[in-house]
Amino acid sequence: MLTVTNLSVAYGAINALDGVSFVVPAGGIVTLIGGNGAGKTTSLRAISGLLRSRGGTITFEGQDITRLPPHEIVARGLSHVPEGRMVFANLTVAENLSMGAWLVRDRAVIAQRQVHVLKLFPRLAERLRQTAGTLSGGEQQMLAVGRALMGGPKFLMLDEPSLGLAPRLVGELFEKITTINRTEGVTVLLVEQNARLALAVSSYAHVLECGRIVMSGPSTELASDPRLKAAYLGG
Amino acid sequence: MTEFLQQLVNGLALGAIYALIALGYTMVYGILRFINFAHSEVFMVGALIAWKLGQYLPHSTLWGGLVALVAAMTGCAVLGVTIERLVYRPLRGTATLNVLITAIGVSLLLQSVLQHPAVFGATPQPFPELFPVINFTLGGLTASSSQLVVIVVAALLIVVLQLVAFRTRMGRAMRAIALNPAAAQLVGVNINVVISFTFALGSALAGAGGVLYALNYPSVEPLMGVMPGLKAFVAAVLGGIGSIPGAALGGLILGTVETLAGGSAALSTYKDAIAFAVLIIILLCRPAGLLGRPVAEKV
Amino acid sequence: MRILRRPHSLPPFFLLLALGAFAQDTIKVGEVASLTGKEASFGQSSHKGTLLAIEHLNTAGGVLGKKFDLVTEDNQSKAGESATAARKLLSRDKVVALLGEVASSRSLEIAPVAQAAKIPMISPASTNSTVTETGSYIFRVCFIDPFQGTVMAKFALKRGWKKVATLISVSSAYSVGLGKYFKETYTTGGGALAAERTYVESDKDFKAQLTAIKAAGVDAIFVPGYYNECALISKQARELGLTVPLFGGDGWESTALLEIGGTAVEGVFFSTHYSSEDAAPAVQAFVQAFKTRWNGETPDAMAALGYDSALVLADAMKRAGTADAVKLRDALAATKDFPGVTGKTSIDAQRNATKAAAIFTVKNGKFAFVESIAP
Ligand SMILES: Nc1ncnc2c1ncn2[C@@H]1O[C@H](COP(=O)(O)OP(=O)(O)O)[C@@H](O)[C@H]1O
Ligand SMILES: [Mg+2]
Repeated sequence: MLTVTNLSVAYGAINALDGVSFVVPAGGIVTLIGGNGAGKTTSLRAISGLLRSRGGTITFEGQDITRLPPHEIVARGLSHVPEGRMVFANLTVAENLSMGAWLVRDRAVIAQRQVHVLKLFPRLAERLRQTAGTLSGGEQQMLAVGRALMGGPKFLMLDEPSLGLAPRLVGELFEKITTINRTEGVTVLLVEQNARLALAVSSYAHVLECGRIVMSGPSTELASDPRLKAAYLGG
Repeated sequence: MTEFLQQLVNGLALGAIYALIALGYTMVYGILRFINFAHSEVFMVGALIAWKLGQYLPHSTLWGGLVALVAAMTGCAVLGVTIERLVYRPLRGTATLNVLITAIGVSLLLQSVLQHPAVFGATPQPFPELFPVINFTLGGLTASSSQLVVIVVAALLIVVLQLVAFRTRMGRAMRAIALNPAAAQLVGVNINVVISFTFALGSALAGAGGVLYALNYPSVEPLMGVMPGLKAFVAAVLGGIGSIPGAALGGLILGTVETLAGGSAALSTYKDAIAFAVLIIILLCRPAGLLGRPVAEKV
Repeated sequence: MRILRRPHSLPPFFLLLALGAFAQDTIKVGEVASLTGKEASFGQSSHKGTLLAIEHLNTAGGVLGKKFDLVTEDNQSKAGESATAARKLLSRDKVVALLGEVASSRSLEIAPVAQAAKIPMISPASTNSTVTETGSYIFRVCFIDPFQGTVMAKFALKRGWKKVATLISVSSAYSVGLGKYFKETYTTGGGALAAERTYVESDKDFKAQLTAIKAAGVDAIFVPGYYNECALISKQARELGLTVPLFGGDGWESTALLEIGGTAVEGVFFSTHYSSEDAAPAVQAFVQAFKTRWNGETPDAMAALGYDSALVLADAMKRAGTADAVKLRDALAATKDFPGVTGKTSIDAQRNATKAAAIFTVKNGKFAFVESIAP
């Protein structure tokens, strides 16, 4: 569904990605794991059009989206839940959700999606009139995912959703992600530093190190790989 | 007492113009986080467009005045969008300082191009009375129609702007970008269209400000934007840069303080200094300005 | 080849010689004027007058068998440009004398340069008394602020205005000077200054000051400024319902005042150096010549003073018999009853001109002569 070929991105003189290639097949959950500064966020920002790549191509459903601006990429059904959640802090939860449906013109569809999102995240339903900035970290993360779902994506990219969340909430969130993937058929590209968790929910994984993919394979295999165990799974 | 009330009327008319210009500074800052220093020259171009049209339009008629006003606003909107498209957009994403210096460059460029004798020249020209001139008196208070036009037009435009910001799709997009440009783009907001729209809107307001300013102080020249532009910038910071009601409030405060100082025998020479002193005091007490929210630097 | 070279090198040599001879045949006079910018109207007028005088002198054969060559530099009405312009004229063009400026603030920039180079300078119209105090080489062909301030104070008292307000530009040497001498004469003559307000050069809004003046309830307002701001002040005064007369000095005299001020400047009074309506044959001949030369334009005071500044210089050169700076200076200082178009000009011990002032008003959108006041 998504094919990244030879992607290179640089910040000024610093190369953040150096010829990254990977594929995300439709219907699955693929994870991109790697340590801090490996280039995970950069990869997602380049895919969603927030960053200009220096080289390489990105195709989505067979079409080249490498040079498209972010709004056109979202319009194709590729949604990005950014690192740090980036909710609109001064807007209410309801307004944030409606911002998520920016490209949807049909009010009935928007209303229907909101019901759906609130069913998935009941906690948000209780806080619809509250400004997003006053939510807890876990709630903000749910709002960020909910906002992305409001656009009705086919493909969801999540950048470190577990960051800064209590373990109990992390479990809950990952359950929801699995639900979204299983029951709605949304393909998921999950970026995580928490490799153990990411490998548990995903079917396939790529390991990013210093801007390069150093290892790829089915998640179950990687989970038992000794090198990976040493580096990312705490032995 | 009458004198004090009269000074308030004067201050209101002056402040309304500052407010109109300040809105442009504040909107662009809200979205792009930089001060568009060429804004004061857009203001000047607005006055000069109306001046040029004044040679063909009938004077002292409501429709003639409105035609000049709308034409100046349209011309300035086009100018503002063009400046953004040609100069600021290619620099987007580079250091803010680069953009700031470029803005100053654009400002000087517009000044010198217009000072060329073939374009306008450096000599001030009298500005025609485009609107009908009537003086109103009410219990010792007087206001000229041009003062009233300023207050009415400014109030109207500020209300329209507030409606645009809070009741329209474009307004929501503007606020979303102001809050978080990356998140706004990720939900599908076309940032280029919104930025162009913002420049068009802010520049149109500056154009209106230019025409209203020239109606009240009917002598126009290419450097006429410098002082009002600086004052409006102060007004925007005073009210809390990025805040629309803040810009309006800042303009009114600055206009009033300046007028009250100007009317006193001891202070009239220092009225500009006093206006800036007020800014410093307010910023010391409220660093984000009167209605500004303290902004945490984005990651 | 060698033989051929010589004849080929001859023409440029002759050309140089010819150029040198040409240069020696003219007397270069420098002029610094505000041809563009805020006070362009003044600069253009004085320049047109000066140029006309130079042309007249040249048609009459020049002086000392040589013709004049006027080199003009524009200072764009900006502070800081005039000194540079003057230095350029002195070092690049080697002018024997400097004419200009109209505005006192800018003449005060040129004067130290001229004094340091010991080259005579004649200001056509700067009325601030300090201009000629700069040094022994600085002259003027107009009266000075004490006189203008005094004249307007006498005029105000004569009109029976008992209570007057002043509105003075503190950033202008001219305005401050006139205000000071007006106050002296007016208050010793029994008048009361009910309100004194100030503004600065870049101001466009005077309503604050005028509102305060209105509250003081005065018979008239003395505004010794330049035409641009005076027009705006008049307009704003009328808008505030202030109907008392406004009056000032020669800074008011410009057609731009009428264009910007419109009906608001009807009935204002100001003092100036000459009247184009003066029936004296010399004045009428000048007015005709000026109109013919400059598209029917009627010369104003700045034009007449510009004209006189060049004539006074030529007269001194004739008496000195040389363009040498020291002798020229002495001859200028000895000028007595020179018949100029702005009246009989004598240079006093302070190198200022003493002559009569004319009072003008605005009537039906035109300047109209009211009366003449002798020194
Ligand atoms: N805005 C930026 N400017 C310069 N360098 C950056 C910027 N963002 C990230 N980098 C650098 O790029 C590399 C990859 O960063 P990132 O993609 O954020 O890593 P990850 O998300 O895997 O932690 C790092 O070396 C980081 O320092
Ligand atoms: Mg990251």
